Amino acid sequence: MIKFENLSFSYPQTTEVVLNSVNFCIKPGTLTLVTGASGSGKSTLLRCINGLVPHFSGGTISGKISVFGSNPIEEGPEILATKVGFVFQEPEAQFVFDIVEDEIAFALENLGIPREEMHNRVNQVIERTHLADIRRKKINNISGGEKQKVAIASALVSMPQVLVLDEPTSQLDPSSAEEILDQVVSLKNQLGLTVILSEHRLERLLPYADSMIYLAPDKEVLAGTPQEILPIMQQVPPVVKIAYKFQISPLPLTVEDFPSKEIGRKYHLEQATPIKAPEQPQALIKIKNMNTKIGEKRILNNLSLELHQNEILTLLGENGSGKTTLLRSILGLLDSVGERLLFGENMHKRSLMEIIQHIAYLPQNPNDLLFADTVLDELKVTLGNHNLNRDDAELTQFLEQFNLGDKKNRYPRDLSVGERQRTALASITVHDPQIILLDEPTRGLDYHAKQALKEVFVRWRNVGKAILLVTHDVEFAALLADRVAILDDGSILFDGDPRIAFSQFQTFMTKTAQIFPQTNWITPGDVKFRPKRDV
Amino acid sequence: MKKQLLGALADLIVLVIGVLSLLSPFIFPGLRSAETFSNTFPLMVSLIIILCLLILFYETQETLLDSKIIAFLGVLIAINAALRFLETAIPGPAGFSPTFFLIILTGYFFGSRIGFLMGAMTMFVSGLITGGVGPWLPGQMITAGWVGQSAAILKVFNKKAQWQGKAPEIITLAAFGAVWGLVYGMIMNLWFWPFLAGAPGQIWLHSAYIGINFQRYLAYYLATSLVWDITRAIGNILITSVMAKPVIKILKRFTTRFSFDYREQHQS
Amino acid sequence: MKNTYSWVLWLASSLLIILSTRNPFYLLILLINLFITGQQLAKRENHPLWALHNFRFLLTMLILSALINTLFTHTGRSVIFSLPENWLLIGGNITYESLVFGLINGFVIGGIYIAFNIINLALSIKQLTHLIPKAFRPIGMTATIALTFFPSIQQRAREIKEAQMIRGNPMKRISDWVPLFIPLLVTSLENAILLSASMTSRGFYRQQSESTMSDLPLISLILSAFMVFSGWILRMYDYPKLISILLYIAAATIIFLTLFLTGRRSQATQYHQEIWQKKDILASVLFIAAVLIWNLVKYYNLIPSLSYSPYPELPFPDIQPAYIFFLFVPLLPVLLQSDD
Repeated sequence: MIKFENLSFSYPQTTEVVLNSVNFCIKPGTLTLVTGASGSGKSTLLRCINGLVPHFSGGTISGKISVFGSNPIEEGPEILATKVGFVFQEPEAQFVFDIVEDEIAFALENLGIPREEMHNRVNQVIERTHLADIRRKKINNISGGEKQKVAIASALVSMPQVLVLDEPTSQLDPSSAEEILDQVVSLKNQLGLTVILSEHRLERLLPYADSMIYLAPDKEVLAGTPQEILPIMQQVPPVVKIAYKFQISPLPLTVEDFPSKEIGRKYHLEQATPIKAPEQPQALIKIKNMNTKIGEKRILNNLSLELHQNEILTLLGENGSGKTTLLRSILGLLDSVGERLLFGENMHKRSLMEIIQHIAYLPQNPNDLLFADTVLDELKVTLGNHNLNRDDAELTQFLEQFNLGDKKNRYPRDLSVGERQRTALASITVHDPQIILLDEPTRGLDYHAKQALKEVFVRWRNVGKAILLVTHDVEFAALLADRVAILDDGSILFDGDPRIAFSQFQTFMTKTAQIFPQTNWITPGDVKFRPKRDV
Repeated sequence: MKKQLLGALADLIVLVIGVLSLLSPFIFPGLRSAETFSNTFPLMVSLIIILCLLILFYETQETLLDSKIIAFLGVLIAINAALRFLETAIPGPAGFSPTFFLIILTGYFFGSRIGFLMGAMTMFVSGLITGGVGPWLPGQMITAGWVGQSAAILKVFNKKAQWQGKAPEIITLAAFGAVWGLVYGMIMNLWFWPFLAGAPGQIWLHSAYIGINFQRYLAYYLATSLVWDITRAIGNILITSVMAKPVIKILKRFTTRFSFDYREQHQS
Repeated sequence: MKNTYSWVLWLASSLLIILSTRNPFYLLILLINLFITGQQLAKRENHPLWALHNFRFLLTMLILSALINTLFTHTGRSVIFSLPENWLLIGGNITYESLVFGLINGFVIGGIYIAFNIINLALSIKQLTHLIPKAFRPIGMTATIALTFFPSIQQRAREIKEAQMIRGNPMKRISDWVPLFIPLLVTSLENAILLSASMTSRGFYRQQSESTMSDLPLISLILSAFMVFSGWILRMYDYPKLISILLYIAAATIIFLTLFLTGRRSQATQYHQEIWQKKDILASVLFIAAVLIWNLVKYYNLIPSLSYSPYPELPFPDIQPAYIFFLFVPLLPVLLQSDD
C-alpha cells in the first residue's frame, strides 16, 4: 500500500509550494492515473514515491509517505530501488549503456546480484517485455517506443512491487504510445504490480484505471475513481466531452463503451458541412514529382503537393512515411529531383538564405533553437541573421500574439514547455515569412499549450500565411486543418477534405469519428443533434 | 582537516612525480644507463603516470563523485569528444576545438578535482573513440587533467582580484587557455623526445649538456609542432572570448541545480 | 583470440620484447610480425587501409628520428658530410652511425605504436572500458556514460546546426558557434540531470562526504607510485637491478591488494562476462611463459646480441638464432587463428 499523509514540498530556493498537504492512499495491485496540467506537480508527486524527492532534488518536505512498509523520505532512493521501478518521460536521456541488455542489467549490477542470477532475471524480463529481437542492439539505433520498452524492462528487472511511469509516452507517436500503454497494463496483470502513471493520453488507460489522482489548478489534490474524478476535471478526453453533450451517465470511458446505438435511436445526428478549400489561383509552394533518396534508400517517390495562402495544410502519415524528409526536401536541405517552385519560381537555383526569407521551419525539438538570455533577444538574433531591425515596442507587440508579452525578459529555458514552443515559433517567424513549416509542434504539450498554439496558427492563416503542419496528433489537427494530405510510403495517398481524412482512414480517425462512423463529425465541436420526435 | 591535508599531499605528490617523470630527459642528464633509459622511458613514464592518475581518481571518486556529478561529467565529456570529431561543426582551421575551453571552465566552476577528472577523462574517452589508446594516453590524460585543475587556481585569483563577472575574467580565462594550448603541446612532445634524440655518449652522459639538451628540444619543438600549438592557442582565445560569457552563465545555473540538500520540516 | 585479458597479455609480452632490444635485425623481424598480425585483424575488422596508415607512421617516425639524430649528434667515424661548426646546434659531422641510431629509435617507436594500434583493432571500446578495475567503478561510469552519449550528442549537434541555419545563421564565423554550442550544452546538461535521476532510481546512489573515505587505499597508492618511481630512477643510475626489481614487485603487490580490497568494498557486480575459449587460455599461458623465460634469460644476460650500438664505428649486429623464436611472440594470435 502507498500512503501520502499531509505531504507538502517545495523546491530549494523558492517559496512556491509545489505539493500542498497531499493525502491519498493507493491499494496494492491497482493502476492509478495521475493527471493535471503541465507544471501542476505530477512529476514531483511521482518522484516522492521512490525518494528522488527530496533526496535527489533537494528542497523542503513535510508530512509522511509510506510505500509498502518503507519510508522514502527517510530511506532514500537507494533503498527504494528494490521496491519501486521508475520510468521517465524522455526516452533519449535515461540510459547509461549503449546496448539494450547491458542497460537492463544495470539495476542488478547496482544491487550486487550474482552474475548467474542476473542473467536469468535479464532473460526473464526481456521475454516479458518482448525485447528478445533487439537485446543486443545499440540503444541509439532503436525507435523511441522501443527505448521506452527498454526503460520499462530496466525498471522491472529488480522485481519491484511498484512501477511508476512519468508521462512515458509524451514523446512518442500514437501507435507506439498505445503499444507501451497496453504493455504496462498487461505487465501489471501478469506481475500483480501496483502501477502509478501520469499521462496526457487518458483514453487508453481509463478503462483499466482503478483510481485517479487529479492535481487541480488550485493546488488541491483529489483522489478517487475515474467516475468520481472526471466530472471535476477541467479538461477531459473527447469521449467524455461528447458524453457530457448527450448527458450520458455513468460516463463512458472508451469509444467501445459509448452507447452510440442508443444515441442513434434517440437523436437525429446532423451532418456537418464539408470543409472545402477555396479555389486558389497560384500556389505559394508547388512540388511536382519530387524524388528524394537518403543514402541508397528512396524516401520520397514522385510526390506532388501544393501549398496555398490562407490555409493550414495538415500532413499525416505513419512513421517512416517520409514526412520530415519532405519538409527538409522542400527547404533544400536534402537533395531532391523534381520540380520545386516557390511563388512560381524554381527553388533549385536559390540559396538556403534566400529560401528561408520566405519559409520558416520549426524543427521537432524547439530547444534546438533557444540560446539567448531573454525571449526578446531570441527574436533579435533572427532579425540580425536577416539583417533586419525592429524596436522593442514592436517586438513586444509581436510577442503578444504568442501570449508571451509578459515573458519578454525571461530566460527562455525557464519557461514552460508550451511557452518555450511558442518562443521558438516567434523566433522563426519574426521576419514575417509567408510560409511556415511545422514538424510535430504539439509533442509533449498539454491541452492549454495546444490551445494557445492553435490560436497562433489560426491567426496566421487568417492574415494570409500558408501553414504546413506535420503531425501525429489527429485530435489537434482536426480542430484546425483546412486541407489534409496523407503521405504513404513516399507519395501522397490522399489530398482533400479533412472530414474525409479524419473519418475514413482507419489510422487517422479521431475519437469523435470513431464514435459516430455514420456522420462526418471529426471533433466534439461538430456534434450537433436534435431529439427524434417519434421516440 | 586531516583529510584536506591528505588530499593536498596527494595533489602535490602527483604533481612532483608526474612532472619529474615527464621532464626526466632534462632533469636526469647525468645518468649512466642511457640505453635502458631511452628504451624504457615511454613505458615507465606511462606506468608511473597511470599510478598518479589512480591516486587522484581515487581521492576524487571517494570524496566528490555522486550520481549527479557522474552523469554531469559523463555528458560534458561526451560533448567535448563529440565536438572534437564533428568535422563540419566548427568553422575555422584544424586544431580549433572547444575541448580545452570546456575543461578549463569545468575546473573553474566545479573545483580542481572535478576539473582534473574532466580533463583526464576527456582525453581517455577521445582516445577510446579514435582508437588512440597508447602509451601516450596517460601523459595526455594527466596534462589535460592539470589544465582543469589549474583553472581552479585561476578562480581563486580572480576572486581575490574581484574580477568575477567582469571583462578581466574573460581575458584571464582566454590567456589561460592560450598558455595551456602551448604548454600542452610542449609536454606532449616530450613523450617522443627521448626516442628521437636519445644518443648515448652525446646527451645523457655529460651533465653539462642539460642546457644543450633543452635547446635541442626547443629546436625540435619549434620545427615540429609550434605552428599547430599556436593555432590551438589562438583557437582557445577566440573560443573563450566568444563563448565564455554565455557558458559561464549556464554553468552557474547548473551549479545550483547539481548541488542541493533537502530539509525535513517537522510539523509542530 | 578474442579475450580481453589474452590481448592485454599479448601487448605486455610484445612490448617487453620490443623494448628490450636495439638490434636492428631483431626489430625488423618484430615489426614484420606485428604487421602480419595487424593486417589479419584489419581484414577481420574491415579496415583496408590499416597497414598503409601504420606504414606511413613508421616511415614518418624513421625519417624524423633519423633527421633529428643526425643533425644533433655528431659522433661516429663514418662521416657522410659536414656542416659548418659554427652553425647553432646542428653544426658538425653528419655520420652513418648517428643515422643508424636514429633509424633504430624510429623502429622502436614504430613498434610500440603499431602494437597499441593492434590492441585498438583487437579490442572493442566496450572491452577496453571493462579493463577499468572495479575499485574505480564510479570513474568508469563517467567514461561509459560519455561513450553512450557521444553518438547522440553528435547527432543533436548536427540537428541544432541545421535548425540554426534555417533560422538564418550562416555558421561561418566563430561567433556563429554560440547558437550551436549553447543549446547543445543546456539540453545535454538537462539530460544529465534526468540521467542521474534514472541511475539513482535504479540503485546507483552515492552520497559523498569527505568523512566516508578511507585513507588507506590512498596512502598505499601514493606509496606504490613512489616506489615505482624510485625503482626506475635507481635503475637508471646503475644501482643493482635487484633493488629496483624488489621495489617493483612490492609496489605491484600493494597496488593489486589495494585494488582488490577497494573493489570488494563496492557491492556491485558485473553483467558482462569475459569468455575464455581454449585458445585464449592457451595463448595466455604462452604469453606468461614467454615473459617469464624472457626475463630470466635477460637477467642472466644470455642474449647479449639484444643490445646494439652503432658507435663509434658501425658494427654488424650479432644474431643468436637460438633466441629468435621469441621474436615471434607477437605473431601468436595469427598462428592460433589458422585452425578456424
